[in-house]
This record gives sequence, C-alpha cells and structure tokens, in this order.
Amino acid sequence: MLHQQKLRFSTTGRGTYNITKQVTEAIEKSGIKEGICHIFIQHTSASLILCENADKTVREDLNAYMARLVKDGDSLFKHKDEGADDMAAHIRTILTQSSLSIPVHKGKCDLGLWQGIFLWEHRTNSHKRNIAMTIMGD
Amino acid sequence: MVFQDTIKLAPQEKGATEITDLISAIIKESKINVGTCQLFVHNSFSSLLITDTADEDTKEQTIDFLAQLAPSCDDISNVINKSMESIPEAMRSAITQTTISFPIRRGKPGLGTWQGIYLWERTTQPKKRDLTITIIGE
Repeated sequence: MLHQQKLRFSTTGRGTYNITKQVTEAIEKSGIKEGICHIFIQHTSASLILCENADKTVREDLNAYMARLVKDGDSLFKHKDEGADDMAAHIRTILTQSSLSIPVHKGKCDLGLWQGIFLWEHRTNSHKRNIAMTIMGD
Repeated sequence: MVFQDTIKLAPQEKGATEITDLISAIIKESKINVGTCQLFVHNSFSSLLITDTADEDTKEQTIDFLAQLAPSCDDISNVINKSMESIPEAMRSAITQTTISFPIRRGKPGLGTWQGIYLWERTTQPKKRDLTITIIGE
C-alpha cells in the first residue's frame, strides 16, 4: 500500500516546531500499520530533524549552537537579497535534513519515547512550509 | 515496484553540479509514478545536496562554507596524519549527505519550486562517480 499527501505548516520565525502529532495523525488516517513513513520538506531554507521532545531548552540550545556555527550576514555571503538570514538559512538546511524516514509500527510512528519530529524554520520571518509525506507498507 | 540502477556519472569539475534533469530522466524511465527515490554515492570525495536553484551564489557559498568547516589544513587532521588528505574529505562527507531521498509524484521528483539536486565534487582530478538510484512505488 502507498499513501502520499501534503502537510502544510505556517511558521512564525526562526525556531523548531513539533510536527509529530500531524505526522502521526496522517499515518493513522492512511490505514497503513507496518512500513516506512518518508517526509520531505519542499524548501531550501527550512529543514527536518528528530530531536529530544521533553525539555525545550534542548532545542533552544540547538538554535543557539546553530546561530554560532552559521552566522547571519557572514562576510563570506554574497546571496543576501532577502536579508542577512537568507544565505545562513540555506546552509543551516544543508547541515540538517530535508527528509526523514521513520518506521511505522502498529499504525503509529515508531519513535523513541523522547524523540519528536520537528520542522526547523531557519528564516527569521513567517513562512508557509509544505512537507510531502509518503507512507509505504501494509 | 522497485527499480534500481547504478549509473556512472561523468567526471564533474570541482564544485556543485546540478543533476536534477538526469535523475528526472531515470525516474521517467522507471515508469514509477508515485513513491520515493533514494540516491546514494559510493565514495567519500563527493556528496549529494538539495539546495536552492534560483541563485548560483547559493550553492557556491554553501560549499565554500562547508569546506571551511572542515578545512584542508586543519590542526586535527594534521595530528592524525599530515599526508592523509582524505581526512578533511571524510569530514566533509560526514557533515553532508551520501544518501538523499525525496518523493516521486506524477512520475517526477516531488521537489519544491526552488529545489535542485546537486553533486558536490571535491577533487581537483574528477573521476567517474558511481551513483545508485533506488525507486520504490507504483
């Protein structure tokens, strides 16, 4: 069985957004019990990560670490038509993931107890983000 | 249905070369209309990136930045072995992707408007690169 659909999200600036619930609901609706769920973000300035979901300071620290690693408006950057965060957002995307594959077991995302699926918005302003989801299995 | 092929990419110049059209043609040949596609490169001197197609500067600055993160003459790699040029290359492989996957929709890569697939070739003496494409779907 194969199920494909889009998930749409509105972001309100740089940071991580927990999308585990939306992904899980879509898996449940697909009726697929065992298989693989593939999610792919159709943008080059936002990405997907699996991260700890219990303590939000983990993700605040990730944000802070990434901001130190890839500096907005770095003098190396020429691509800055859309602002100082533009090129940094593309690099942050490359350093993380555009897609994730998650096992589906008993009709649910088979994540670890403390794992969550997060959309990481790398731009500082609001955006509409599309994720293409493909679930394959029985 | 599963379609798999290992192709030899013609030697590319050092830098990021877009391979979206080539991959689209293989997907068309597979006759799979909906599913997922996985690409895998069989070496540590090149990586696969999905990044912005709108501005040439984006990919150039992305690879410049990544190369700086794992510089060729780094203290760490010098400690390991001064003659081992492959250490920074292995690091550059590790911080990027040797495998990427994306959805297939209507017999085409289900990429966003501004997304393209690139091979980041890092050697100055380019070689043919083996790339395995695995398409699963209907």
